[in-house]
Amino acid sequence: MSKIEKALNKARATGSLRIASPHSDQTEGDKQLTTTSSSSMPVSANDIEQRVSASALIARMREIAPLDRHALTQNRLIHPEMGENGTVRAFREIRTKIIQKTQGRNCIIMVTSVTGEGGSSFVALNLSAAFAFDAGKTALLMDCNFRNPFLHKLFTARNEPLHGLTDYLENTDIDIADIIHPVGIERLRVVPSGGRREIPAEYFTSIKMKRLLDSIRQRYRERYIILDAPPMTESADTQIIADLCDYVLLVVPYGQVTDAQIDACAHAIGEKKLLGVVFNNERVPPDLGWRNLLRNPLAFIARAFNQ
Amino acid sequence: MNLKPEYRLKVLINEVFNYRRAVVGLFVVVNVVALILGLVWPKGYSSSTTILVDDKKIIQPLMQGAAVATEVADRARLAREVIFGRKIMNQVLEDTGWMAVKRTPEEVGEIVEKIRKRTSIASLGKDIIKLEYRDDDAERAFKTTKKLAELFISESLGAKAAESQAAFDFIDKQTEEYHDKLLKAEEQLKEFRTANLDARPGSDVDISTRLNTLQTRIEQSAQDLKEAEVKKASLEKQLSGEAEVANVLSREGQYRTRIAELQSQLETLRLSYLETYPDIVRIKHQIEDLNEAIAEDRKARSAAKATGRVTVDDSVVNNPMYQQLKRDLSQAQITVDTLNARISEAKRQLQQELERGKRVHGGEATMSELTRDYQVNRDIYQDLLKRRENARVSMNLDREKQGLTFKIQEPALLPLEPTGLRFIHFVVGGLLAGILLPIGLIYAKLQAEPRIYVGQLISEKHKLPLLAIIPHMWSPADIQAVRREVGWLTLTTSITVLVVAAVSVLRLVKVI
Repeated sequence: MSKIEKALNKARATGSLRIASPHSDQTEGDKQLTTTSSSSMPVSANDIEQRVSASALIARMREIAPLDRHALTQNRLIHPEMGENGTVRAFREIRTKIIQKTQGRNCIIMVTSVTGEGGSSFVALNLSAAFAFDAGKTALLMDCNFRNPFLHKLFTARNEPLHGLTDYLENTDIDIADIIHPVGIERLRVVPSGGRREIPAEYFTSIKMKRLLDSIRQRYRERYIILDAPPMTESADTQIIADLCDYVLLVVPYGQVTDAQIDACAHAIGEKKLLGVVFNNERVPPDLGWRNLLRNPLAFIARAFNQ
Repeated sequence: MNLKPEYRLKVLINEVFNYRRAVVGLFVVVNVVALILGLVWPKGYSSSTTILVDDKKIIQPLMQGAAVATEVADRARLAREVIFGRKIMNQVLEDTGWMAVKRTPEEVGEIVEKIRKRTSIASLGKDIIKLEYRDDDAERAFKTTKKLAELFISESLGAKAAESQAAFDFIDKQTEEYHDKLLKAEEQLKEFRTANLDARPGSDVDISTRLNTLQTRIEQSAQDLKEAEVKKASLEKQLSGEAEVANVLSREGQYRTRIAELQSQLETLRLSYLETYPDIVRIKHQIEDLNEAIAEDRKARSAAKATGRVTVDDSVVNNPMYQQLKRDLSQAQITVDTLNARISEAKRQLQQELERGKRVHGGEATMSELTRDYQVNRDIYQDLLKRRENARVSMNLDREKQGLTFKIQEPALLPLEPTGLRFIHFVVGGLLAGILLPIGLIYAKLQAEPRIYVGQLISEKHKLPLLAIIPHMWSPADIQAVRREVGWLTLTTSITVLVVAAVSVLRLVKVI
């Protein structure tokens, strides 16, 4: 423990460790995560040194201006300021479980939904954000859902055309660095789907794709690569993408799928690769602050009808 | 969807929240519809009366067989037919104040239809008819019910009387017809009989008996004749061999016979007595006397012979045998003649009878036909006479209102409290249905859809690792929007409830 503290102190002294968020929640959460991960497995001194250097590397990542809260909300993105929100808690839980499962090693995770509109992009994006909460980790989200891409919406503010995965796979001139873009969330990088909507499934099996994933993975030790794949039941590409990944996360949307569909998807993925199932978008009513109604009814009613 | 109860409630709450607009909308719609229905629903005062139809009165067993009671199979149906008839309906309209205002025929038709719809007639058991009428006016309900029952009874009795009258008339007519027929048949029979006196039923039997008798008589007579002829022949034969006269035994013969007798007596006596016995002496004297008499007689006879004179004593008499035979022969001759006459007479009669028989057979066919007609007509006529009397009794029964009686078991009462669905039922029902219907629909949807609404089921049922259940992400703006929406929905619900309450109060104080 003393070694970790020493390392942390050293990092702080050199300025390489930068706590991104001033919010105490996030720090606490991340600290908790760190302790759980460190307590769950024996960590050697060498490992810690490596992590420290990785953190230093991550800390030096070039960031653009962070997205404001409005943009985050608009894109339905979790952020540490949301506090004890159920959604945030759920994503942290997923992150913790993934880290436990992978024993701290970075990996490629494909997120797919059982059906269309299942919210796999939402889960993938927020899971990436959850990884990025941790100052010592970085996440890269790759949009592999060409028919129905989602990530380009994050860049609507910027008018410049951005290269994406399809551009990279088709065009040899484009470098890996050209398709990885910051989105305004610290430690989160994004590879959009690219200009073309339709590419043959063979691109995914190409060596170039494999090399791309390898190089991205090796760039940062603490980088988690998350692929947003099309729904299992709607695209054959998903199966091919799944072969490139270490794990698959299956999103089951609330009230939309049947038992048979889940069974079919789980069978297609295989027990070995299936990291787990995420039950998404459980339609629980929000906390509307009914307590305030009792405390100050007039104010509550006034607030309800005010724009 | 087969869920554990704890999940079921949670999912139901979630879904109700998801469909909050539809739920509130349905609540409002159901309540408004119920309210309107409650307002327009006729208030429904109902008055009922039960009519006891009694056709098993004391008269019935008494008149068993003599009178036929009208069968009433389905009294309610019959009552419906009678009551909903134009006649009663018009009467009811007149008497219960519907026609106080001048109305067009179309309006009258509508009112009649309305009354028909509001009237229910049911059989309670075998002999009781329940008549119920609903109206929004209590008094009119009472009056109409009363009137309907009264009119029904009078109409039914009238109809029954008319029915038995018609039956009687018919049977009477038939009876008259058969009477005429019978008279005609009788007349024909009479004429025929006059024309054919012989032709009586059984004449042929008479004739055959008579023929038989005649035949027997002829045979018998022939037999007798034959016998008589044989007898006659035999007598004639005998008569030819017999002498007409016969010598009668003389006095001498008589003396000798006497002597022989006396001699025999003497012999007998000598066996017992001596010659001196007086009797023997007497007999000896007698024999001597007789011998002397014979000698004298011989002398006389020889003297007579010499003179040629016939002496009386010694006469030749007619032969009696001959005489007897002669008489018998004459008798036999008479018998033969008589029998011959008898046979010829019998043969004549036989001939006559045969002719009569032929005549009778011809007339008998006609006769039996006429008789048959007559008998059939007579039977039917008698039967009809009996029936006519039965019908007359039935008719009188109905005329005296004794056969089928109607009694108002329970008279119609003026209803004080409205019955049936009242306004409050609609209000309460509307509120309940407004809540239960949407929830029920959602529940039914959940039951019908085999989709997954509970995350825990994935790990429980499919044995897959469930990483997390991500609740719907409500952004502050979303929450604000939801809050506003919930506010509006609450307001809508409250307004609906208030409107319902206000209308209920107005209804309670009888403003509406």
